[in-house]
Amino acid sequence: MDTSQLLKGVLDLAVLAVLRKEDGYGYDVLRRLRAGGLDEVGDASVYGTLRRLYNAGLLTSYVVPSEEGPHRKYYSLNEPGRERLAESGRTWRSFAHTLDDLLGVVA
Amino acid sequence: MSSTHTRAEVQDYLNRMRTALADLPDVEISEIMDDAGGHVVEVAEELGEDFSAEALTARLGTPEVYARELRVAAGYPPANQAVAAVGPKPVFAARFAFWALVAGTAAAFGMGIGGRNGFPLALLVAVFVVWAIVLLFRKPELVGQVGELPETIALRSALEQAEQGPLGKTIDYLKSLQPAWWLARAGLIAIAGLILDGVGVIFLLTLGMAALALLSGPRAKVDRRWLWVSLPAGAFAAGVLLFIIGSVIPNSRYDSGYATSSYAPATPSLPSNVYVFDKDGKALTDVYLYDEEGRPLDSSFYGCDGNGDGSRYRDDNRYPKPKVDYDGRGHCREIGGVPFAVSIPSVTGLPPAPTGSGDPSSSVTPPSSVSSAPSTVPASK
Repeated sequence: MDTSQLLKGVLDLAVLAVLRKEDGYGYDVLRRLRAGGLDEVGDASVYGTLRRLYNAGLLTSYVVPSEEGPHRKYYSLNEPGRERLAESGRTWRSFAHTLDDLLGVVA
Repeated sequence: MSSTHTRAEVQDYLNRMRTALADLPDVEISEIMDDAGGHVVEVAEELGEDFSAEALTARLGTPEVYARELRVAAGYPPANQAVAAVGPKPVFAARFAFWALVAGTAAAFGMGIGGRNGFPLALLVAVFVVWAIVLLFRKPELVGQVGELPETIALRSALEQAEQGPLGKTIDYLKSLQPAWWLARAGLIAIAGLILDGVGVIFLLTLGMAALALLSGPRAKVDRRWLWVSLPAGAFAAGVLLFIIGSVIPNSRYDSGYATSSYAPATPSLPSNVYVFDKDGKALTDVYLYDEEGRPLDSSFYGCDGNGDGSRYRDDNRYPKPKVDYDGRGHCREIGGVPFAVSIPSVTGLPPAPTGSGDPSSSVTPPSSVSSAPSTVPASK
């Protein structure tokens, strides 16, 4: 099964989740996702998702100058972002539970 | 590989990426290039010794692929739609049409209320409105685009809120009067033409406009393009109505004020006769009086004619005027001279004042005695 198709639906949730404990700039988020096991996540998809969540008012951003290379834009979860994370998390758990049950029947 | 080379290739990658995003709003592009562009630079640096344009592409995909993936994830519209390329132009035309309508309505109201100072500006606005109308009738889909403009949506929702608010009933009532208003405004436009021009070319032109205004009201209900005629026409008529109301109410007051002010300089308020004395209290006769602008200070005089048995008007500025007397047989006689005397105070700088009999020392004694104050005493009879 192509996990990239699955990923599309849950990338929002994944990005919100990795920003829950600590703010991060784009590459941070990408690294955390990959480190978490989502190897196939595309660089551009992460940046696009960050833009969309930011435009939706779920993230706030601030710029930190960097000694080497360009300055970095850090994203952090704001209150609506946390609420969305909690809500999407519940939806995901219930969905996963349903699917587990289905798979249990099949198996 | 040299770092300058690296930078050139990274720059090339970034430029291609920017091109692929060019249809997005400027703010979005700059945010993305800050963010994802920084990422590209960072990835290029990570590659270090292994860096090449190919390596970068292998790692991130081509700039176009990167941009497309980013657009999808960010929820932007795909770039390869024809609409995106020509997108800004219809929006511009729609925006032009919208603001031409707003400006046209405002200018028409100003013209109606009698603001003729702004006539050249109003003419310019009128040209824009006509242009907008031409655009709208040539491209019917433009109306829909005007309806989707954020400013139109904001205006519409404000109107809808007003209709649901406390003014809702008033608005409903006014709406029920609309057909009557369409008639009335056609009349008002024709009246404005009549005021401006009598029965001339402009009047005939306004008659045509009045007919168009009459037509545009019901048409605009079903075809929004007619709004570009109907709204300015209504605003102009409303302005004319206010102008007419305004010129009827305060005019009675203005008229009297105007009358007195134009009447005043022609006939200065003068007593019917003037007597003049020099510093010694000597009466002066045959003196001609003028005001500060050199106009003779005429006062009406009803003197005797040459034959001595009639009378005639003889207005002039020669003072003092003789006293007119009729003898027992009805013969007219003009009596010259000064009927009283005054005493001029010897102290200079004080205005001369008539004195009473209590201070005869410096007074010139007339043939008859001086009574108190400037009283008139018959000099000779």
